[in-house]
Amino acid sequence: MENPTFYYDNKIVKSFAYATLFWGVIGMLVGLYAALQFIWPGLTFNIPYTTFGRIRPIHTNAVIFAFVGNGMFTGIYYSLQRLTKARMFNDVLSKVHFWGWQLIIVLAALSFAFGITTGKEYAELEWPIDILVALIWVVFGWNMLGTIIKRRTQHIYVAIWFYIATFVTVAILHIVNSIAIPVSLFKSYPIYAGVQDALVQWWYGHNAVAFFLTTPYLGLMYYFLPKAANRPVYSYKLSIIHFWALIFLYIWAGPHHLLYSSLPNWAQSLGVVFSIMLIAPSWGGMVNGLLTLRGAWDKVREDPVLKFMVVAVTAYGMSTFEGPMMSLKSVNAISHFTDWTVGHAHIGALGWNGFLTFGMLYWLIPVLFNTKIYSKKLANTHFWLGTLGIIMYAVPLYWGAITQALMWKEFTPEGMLRYPNFLETVTQIIPMYATRAIGGGLYITGVLFGVVNIIKTVKTGKFVGDEAASAPALVKAGGKAAGESTHRWLERKPVLFMILAVVVILIGGLIEIVPMYLIRSNIPTISSVGPYTPLELHGRDIYVREGCYTCHSQMIRPFRSETERYGEYSKAGEFVYDHPFQWGSKRNGPDLAREGVVTGRQYKPNSWHYQHMLNPQALNVQSIMPSFKWLISNKLDISTTARKVKVMQFLGVPYPEGYDKIANQDLIKQATEISENLKASGIQCDPDKEIIAVIAYLQRLGTDITRTGPAVSFPLSSNK
Amino acid sequence: MGVLILLISFSIVVAVGFLLAFIWSVRTGQYDDEYGDSVRILFKDDKPDPPVSM
Amino acid sequence: MAKEGSIACYHCGEDCVPTPIPFDSKSFCCSGCRTVYEILSQNGACDYYDLNTSPGIKANSRETGNRYAYLDQEEIRKEILEFSDGGISTVKFFIPGIHCSSCIWLLENLGKLQKGIAQSHVNFAKKEISITFHDDSISLRQLVELLVSVNYIPEISMDNVRKKTKRKVNNSIYFRLGVAGFCFGNIMLFSFPEYLAGGDFIEGVIVTNLRWFNLIFSLPVILYSGNIYIISAWKGIKKNFISIDVPIALGILALFLRSAYEILSNSGPGFMDSLAGLVFFLLIGKWYQGKTYEALSFERDYESYFPVSVTVLNDDGEETIIPLGKIKIGQRILIRNQELIPADGLLVKGEGNLDYSFVSGESNPVNKATGDRIFAGGRQLGSSIEIIVEKEVAQSYLTELWNRETHEKFTNPKITTLISRISKRFTYAVILISTGSAIAWFFIDPSVSINAFTSVLIVACPCALALSMPFAYGNTMRIFGRNGFYLKETQVVEILSNIDTIVFDKTGTLTQNDDFDISWDKLNLDAKERELIMALAKQSTHPVSSAIYKSRTGIINQTVEKFEEIVSQGISGIVEGNTIKLGSSAFVNTNSTAEQNADGNRVFVSFNNELNGYILLKNKYRQGFSNVISLLGRDYDLHVLSGDNEAERERLSEVFGSSKNMFFKQTPHDKLEYVRKLKLKGATVLMVGDGLNDAGALQESDLGVSIADDVYHFSPACDGILDSGRFETLGNFIRFSKTSVKIVKFSILISLLYNITGTTIAAFGLLTPIIAAILMPLSSVTVVVFVTLSTSYLANKRGISKRYSTPK
Repeated sequence: MENPTFYYDNKIVKSFAYATLFWGVIGMLVGLYAALQFIWPGLTFNIPYTTFGRIRPIHTNAVIFAFVGNGMFTGIYYSLQRLTKARMFNDVLSKVHFWGWQLIIVLAALSFAFGITTGKEYAELEWPIDILVALIWVVFGWNMLGTIIKRRTQHIYVAIWFYIATFVTVAILHIVNSIAIPVSLFKSYPIYAGVQDALVQWWYGHNAVAFFLTTPYLGLMYYFLPKAANRPVYSYKLSIIHFWALIFLYIWAGPHHLLYSSLPNWAQSLGVVFSIMLIAPSWGGMVNGLLTLRGAWDKVREDPVLKFMVVAVTAYGMSTFEGPMMSLKSVNAISHFTDWTVGHAHIGALGWNGFLTFGMLYWLIPVLFNTKIYSKKLANTHFWLGTLGIIMYAVPLYWGAITQALMWKEFTPEGMLRYPNFLETVTQIIPMYATRAIGGGLYITGVLFGVVNIIKTVKTGKFVGDEAASAPALVKAGGKAAGESTHRWLERKPVLFMILAVVVILIGGLIEIVPMYLIRSNIPTISSVGPYTPLELHGRDIYVREGCYTCHSQMIRPFRSETERYGEYSKAGEFVYDHPFQWGSKRNGPDLAREGVVTGRQYKPNSWHYQHMLNPQALNVQSIMPSFKWLISNKLDISTTARKVKVMQFLGVPYPEGYDKIANQDLIKQATEISENLKASGIQCDPDKEIIAVIAYLQRLGTDITRTGPAVSFPLSSNK
Repeated sequence: MGVLILLISFSIVVAVGFLLAFIWSVRTGQYDDEYGDSVRILFKDDKPDPPVSM
Repeated sequence: MAKEGSIACYHCGEDCVPTPIPFDSKSFCCSGCRTVYEILSQNGACDYYDLNTSPGIKANSRETGNRYAYLDQEEIRKEILEFSDGGISTVKFFIPGIHCSSCIWLLENLGKLQKGIAQSHVNFAKKEISITFHDDSISLRQLVELLVSVNYIPEISMDNVRKKTKRKVNNSIYFRLGVAGFCFGNIMLFSFPEYLAGGDFIEGVIVTNLRWFNLIFSLPVILYSGNIYIISAWKGIKKNFISIDVPIALGILALFLRSAYEILSNSGPGFMDSLAGLVFFLLIGKWYQGKTYEALSFERDYESYFPVSVTVLNDDGEETIIPLGKIKIGQRILIRNQELIPADGLLVKGEGNLDYSFVSGESNPVNKATGDRIFAGGRQLGSSIEIIVEKEVAQSYLTELWNRETHEKFTNPKITTLISRISKRFTYAVILISTGSAIAWFFIDPSVSINAFTSVLIVACPCALALSMPFAYGNTMRIFGRNGFYLKETQVVEILSNIDTIVFDKTGTLTQNDDFDISWDKLNLDAKERELIMALAKQSTHPVSSAIYKSRTGIINQTVEKFEEIVSQGISGIVEGNTIKLGSSAFVNTNSTAEQNADGNRVFVSFNNELNGYILLKNKYRQGFSNVISLLGRDYDLHVLSGDNEAERERLSEVFGSSKNMFFKQTPHDKLEYVRKLKLKGATVLMVGDGLNDAGALQESDLGVSIADDVYHFSPACDGILDSGRFETLGNFIRFSKTSVKIVKFSILISLLYNITGTTIAAFGLLTPIIAAILMPLSSVTVVVFVTLSTSYLANKRGISKRYSTPK
């Protein structure tokens, strides 16, 4: 009996591989550009599109979703076909997936440059693109599950489980976190506010790391590492156990991003404990990867593919150890808001994802093109430049992070902050930033060598778009009587497996979020906290647009060093009208949570803010903040005010009935007051400029809690 | 309070579902042959038989 | 594997002796291997050789002839097939030869070799293949013959056929473990706010509500996962037997009832996390202990060795094949060369030349003439014979022995486990302390009384105690297994440490099966003439011939003409003009039949039609034999029981020091009785044997260890299988079993310390959920880590874990 012949689709694999390289180079160059801005703030050339606040999401999204995303699809489209002994379910779906994903990337880059963002880290895309992402993701899942269903093998290899878990989880994470009410085509407000939003966001954020950067790549590791080493994975049993443990535990770890925040204590501790427990399955994966190479270390010395993979797996082990350590409260007190987090993330991104991607490509491209790698030497150079790059990237950042954190916390014997000026703590670590940029530069140089090597390899090879293969079809032997027909039930039912994964994830997510969200009483409400005025709301939206949260946090932790520096620590009840929350995750500048408190240390008059936005270096020579001078010339678009107020009302913000119609009157009134205040300081600024709104917002920050009377009432009384 | 009751019932349903899935997966021999399953991916793909030319 | 300097066979990797057979620019050791290669290469299946170097199994005789004709019998076919709907059938075979990834590849690509195979799937762990095939393209017999042709010989025996349906593994431990693990995880989760919540009122509301989750999730733990302990404790108590499960059950119940009460009455958080954790850990211990060697069989009875079917002759001499179980007294059955005698009977036609090594251990074939009585279990060598059945299979001599003895095993009172001896005292102590503290508190502060009572029961729950044995012995068993000594279950480790008497079978146990010491003393030939004999021996694959050929020193390439081999008789041929005959005395035409084999195996030689003398082949003792014996002799009472004659008495006495405990010409039944007598005298007996002839003794002994050249192939029912290549380390294994018992004792001490600490805290009424939640896992983890690490470390130190690779 002749086995049926079928063809593997290599073209789609090739497309994704090229896209991986292309976006990898772009994303990393953007990262380098952002890194250089720390040293030369003037590199933004005083235009809106290049500020760190807009560049950073481009960098993170390009690296995560474009580079790693395309890398993941490259590996999945190659390995899935081989593992199932079937061509991809549908070529059209493959193509739609590919081009759809590239379109999303382009749209994302453009929208971030134009300041179209939701302001939620790693989920900055606005709602129309979010919908597109969901659709394309479903196309991917449909195509993948279809392939699994029509497979010619009985067993579903462990890598595929990781792929399925990736698909299912990311879909749910994305949808749950992105639920928002549109204001316009380019603007929406998330339905969650404050603490809830933070919890959902970091539930998403952490799991994005878990299920976009980890599980699919573990799947790739479980396929490409054994393939490259030509030996089976060390322990298949371990891979199964660590898969289930990982997807169960990961779900609970999110709150560790919110330690010392306004999140209830037990939820924080939950996050900590589960993060610690994650070491076990994560290291299970690492050990399994490394031990696969036991007895083959001589091969590793020879083969650049294995070298890349070994470092990748080691980096995975390092960052999955570091992560739980960072979620220990005592460590987190230091590491949070510093570059430690950035260093940690880059060990993962450059080491684990980057090196695994290049290892995979160095193995895959020659296989696809039926040739050998053009230059082993060049690949080795790439490897060493990359490794050196990672070290030079991470070490200075750790150094800088600890230096800075200690400076933040240092008191003089008299009980005063040793470095009350935040800028001092930044200036101190500029040399580290410079070294980091060199490290990143080395890494990119390596990547460029890699690109050249791969282009040359492609040129020497002969590509077969449709690779012929044959395998017997899966036969089901008769009815129930056969032992085989009821055999391997779970494997035969990928759909069921998917549902199971959803269930596992949902149980985690729901238990974490639902009580928080639905038991509103969980957040002690503070009677003096009121909604933002229309002008402040606009100012807040501009704050989000410019990505201020990428450098300024709005979350004062209950440490003496922070309350001393910034004022009263943040309470959960203060954020109930924050759609989205703006707690931030990194302090390149001081915290702004109490920026508007007149009696506070941080307080600055309106005129200062105006001057500062215009030219930060004029006020602080060493400041690394870019100029935002377009805020001064841009006219505030007040046509959307009514819509914004209505959406807020819909989300439960207690503006009075019909307020949307008169909101602009309040807005103009408040703007005029600020404009006049500026005029008193000798600054001529029309009330219809964006800067006025931003100033209004900044001056509101943190003030409600110090107010003695009831919350702001609407419409605003003239005696504000 | 309503939420908690909802949660409890939800958890129990899930727990039962999980239990069943686990029992099924073991009963049906999903984890029977670790070596075989891990080694199969290393086998080269079958090329279809070349056309007979004799 | 090939020796240095010689060429390894491309197929099987064995030494290519005498000269490699070249084919397709590759070298093969024999035509069998070459043929397998040919089959594979013709079918484009040479990937087989790319996956592993020389992955094949040495092909011996592949001629199947009519051997599998019985598979065409509908009745037998039906018994063997797993499923058949007339068009498509599925069958499962145990193939001991499966050993590497190449095997999987080839067996799953059987479709390349033959049409009609829809799918084949290998379960490597079980060495099992499941094949789905189209009935109209290939028959079951052809399928089996195909497997045999590529040297993956499926094991088809009565045993396999009968047990086909019964082979379901008991998975309930996994289910229990899964349930307990799941509930444990969730309860932990829900207990979190309990431990850590601040004083906030709203947090408090959540916390108390989460307690209800804990109660719900604890139900499956107590009702399903943990119920085995309660049931087992109850069963024990009913029989007046207090096992370790009693204090465990008390602890579990106390934990559950007190926690349930606290939650229901809203008076406290309860200890559900400890309960679920306890059951989960205990079950992990049970699971660890439950390691089995799936592909090995410790339970083989005579049915495993008997054929599935026999050829019956009717009055007209027509042959029909019937299943073994249907043989009736008076039937005339045909036994061909290499077939087993399935039932006792009378030889009515042909010359019997029966190899009874299975039954008696005697390695030389026995001649039987027409009219002689033949016992089941012998293997006919030579031409076909016909016998008339006198007894049914189940009533035959050998099977009777089996059936009669197995169920009356006399149990040795010394063999009660350490844990069960301790647990009795332990239980009394726990009950005493708990009641005592309850009474004491009743007078001091009655409200604490019940709490103190339950707290003691909870804390005293001997989780660590119950875990130490499974992990220590489980790990020992794994270490042994990695080193070629496979135990049926973990308890065997402890029994092994208790033995004081060792009984050895001789042939096949102390000696090697296929290697001989060769003596040329009784020949009157010079070196040149000896070479001629070796040249002749080179032509035959008979073990004796190979042994003679192997004793060569130089290159033997003399040509042999007119080579002839008469099965079980001898070989003859003309080498360089000399007519040479090698074989039995009858074959060589001598009259000196006297004391034919008193001193070993004599191969008579006639040179140019003149009797020259004989070559003496003596069984070779296993490597390290004398070392092992002299070492063991210091500490143990050693005995030898042999089915053979006394030829070796002298040699053995030298090693054993005396011949006092040596008995020869022992029947299987004699051996069994001997072991029984030793036991009655109070000895704890380890029986080391190999063949079916030792089966009774292996069963009767306190611990039976079977030595096997191929652990997957051949071993009678026993408690342990020792790879014959590891015979020399037998002493180490026994000694290490004592070490691991010591480790268990020490770990019991550790866990008792924990228990005393905890009980003290509890007796004073100070136990809180946090303390319980910390103490219980801490003690368990300490003990588990201690026993696992120390067994591994000591095994390594004592040289147990020497590098050792499982033979193909």
